[in-house]
Amino acid sequence: MGVPYIPVIGLVGTDLLKRRDDMLLAPDPFDGKTISVVARAMRPDVAVFHVDRADRQGNVSCGYPVEAVILAEASRHVIVTAEEVVDRLEEKHAAGTFVPSILVDTVVHAPFGSHPAGMTGRYGPDKVHMREYVAASRDDAAFAEYLRTYVFEVDSHADYVARFVPRELQQPARVA
Amino acid sequence: MSVSLNYSESELMAILMSREVRDREVSACGALSQLPATGLLLAKELHAPDAELIILNTVFRPFQTSRQFHFLAQRGELGLFFASGVQIDGRGNYNLHQLGTDPERPEVRFPGGYGGGMIYYCARRTVVFRTEHTRRSLVERVDFISATGSSPANVLRLGNPSKLITPKATFRFDKENACLRLESIHPSYTLAGIQENTGFDLGVTGPVAATPAPTAEELRVLRSVVRPKMIETGTYAAWAERSLGSG
Repeated sequence: MGVPYIPVIGLVGTDLLKRRDDMLLAPDPFDGKTISVVARAMRPDVAVFHVDRADRQGNVSCGYPVEAVILAEASRHVIVTAEEVVDRLEEKHAAGTFVPSILVDTVVHAPFGSHPAGMTGRYGPDKVHMREYVAASRDDAAFAEYLRTYVFEVDSHADYVARFVPRELQQPARVA
Repeated sequence: MSVSLNYSESELMAILMSREVRDREVSACGALSQLPATGLLLAKELHAPDAELIILNTVFRPFQTSRQFHFLAQRGELGLFFASGVQIDGRGNYNLHQLGTDPERPEVRFPGGYGGGMIYYCARRTVVFRTEHTRRSLVERVDFISATGSSPANVLRLGNPSKLITPKATFRFDKENACLRLESIHPSYTLAGIQENTGFDLGVTGPVAATPAPTAEELRVLRSVVRPKMIETGTYAAWAERSLGSG
């Protein structure tokens, strides 16, 4: 939207507000007295999100309806990872949300880029890996070990897929 | 006292929720809301054929994006919303964030959320519900305020909680005094029992009515029409098969 802040009806008096420095109470500038929450616009330096298909110009077909346009609009630099990269993608052939190339800076070909989460229409979540992640997140040492195994000591995305994405997820999905 | 009832606790709560739905209004519930979803579908069959329903995570979802739902609520077009919290207090505040006396070191964390905290102020009426009626869920003061039952007069607010529904009783929200008051007691429960299991003052000033029990017609439509519809949603299929009588 490009506005510096936006009024929001709600949240007044909550403990949530006490913990947010990007939301505060302000009077209506027109009547000078009605109070509402005002939320500062988020302006991320970088947005990264994973999609179904993208083309070489950066046009994006998310594959399902998702709040990707507002994220891309708000962010200064947008990196899209895609299951599939095609030569040319037009809005009329997009599935789900379409993000035009003018909003996208970088496209990365990353099959199984959602793993261990699933990708609508392509593969489901890896529940075994998810359980391992949840268990690892319970303490710092276990999580450091998780990061070492799955992030820092992985050579490349292809190496990650080969080593950690289960074979059964790699079968082509046939979703009715 | 032992009374044999011809309905389950879930069926009773869903039926009580359905009675809150008004025809021609937009009524909504979030994801993971099997009781409100059942109540909404039941109301549409019984007395609110032209109610507009939004049941997130099912086919009853008119929008592609959550942004559209957000602004529908902000515009004040949501007549009724159903909300729950891990704790609800006598002021109508609810907590869906965390438990524990030290907010910096919560004992347990819950989904929390911006959505409920926004909608509670925007929907014209919100029915709060809790499937557990005990002193740990209905408390004097919530550990963390996710949304307040009322606001000062100069705060921009479009609606308030209207009612609290539990497996034992219903409470009415007294807007003037900003508190919940015991409204009716479900069959087989007593005022003393409610008192014993509620952590806040019941605000009772006179005799308390008995909750009108589910009618034969409500139970018939619930089991023969709504149950299959709930199974069709996919999202709530397993729950509906288990919790709603097949009639």
